[in-house]
Amino acid sequence: MALDTLSNTFAALADPTRRAILARLAQGETSVTELAEPFDMSLPAISKHLKVLERAGLVERGRDAQRRPCRLVAAPLQEVAGFAEGYRQFWEQSFDRLDDYVQKLQSKGRKHVRKSKQQR
Amino acid sequence: MSAKASSSADREIIITRIINAPANVVFDAWVNSKHADKWMGPTGYTTVTQSMDVRPGGMWRFTMSGPQGVFPSRVTYLEVVKPSRLVYLHGADQDNDPDAFHVTVTFEDLGDKTHITLHSVFPTAEARDKVVKEFHAIQGGYQTLERLEQHVRG
Repeated sequence: MALDTLSNTFAALADPTRRAILARLAQGETSVTELAEPFDMSLPAISKHLKVLERAGLVERGRDAQRRPCRLVAAPLQEVAGFAEGYRQFWEQSFDRLDDYVQKLQSKGRKHVRKSKQQR
Repeated sequence: MSAKASSSADREIIITRIINAPANVVFDAWVNSKHADKWMGPTGYTTVTQSMDVRPGGMWRFTMSGPQGVFPSRVTYLEVVKPSRLVYLHGADQDNDPDAFHVTVTFEDLGDKTHITLHSVFPTAEARDKVVKEFHAIQGGYQTLERLEQHVRG
């Protein structure tokens, strides 16, 4: 279930026009006509992108019958960010261990050098 | 906004870190299984190497075990430049894993420290989903973060 949501979110984000639409909506809700203005694209083409974003739950449409304003829904994006964070933590924790380990290696190395100097 | 949002943020993750040792020591810790087994994987995991052959076309086969399960893994090296750069595919321990992801690690020598940059790119949406599942399993669930939201809000 959660993975399906994630797939939909990623698929919806895979297109630069849709990301641009989301960025525009992050500034506040707007009508489809207003939304389409800056794009070199027909209104039906923009509507199609909006449908994809709606299906992914990233955009919702208002009830106002005339305007049906589009709004950004941020929750699915948090799930995507959650995944990135999981991978990041994997490496952050590995790097913590790497840092401890190489420091131990180095202090051991120094002891060895001291020992061999003493033996000479 | 478009410059930021078009950076395929959905398939790419960059992680950087300063390690307190010179690049040759850090690089060796990465390509010598005796060392790699001691640190690879998150807290609570143990890594056991089956074999390691660090040269282009060579493989590192290892198993990571921890509270969330056992993960047989394989790294196939594409580029090996001692002590500054490793490029490899990282996936499950099987031939031609279509879900393997492409990792570039650079080791920048800062004298007594090393600046590591780990750049991961997931090949396809399917691969990413699989890795999502695996790393979610490893991490034991979702963490909420607003980083991507902020990115899109950019």
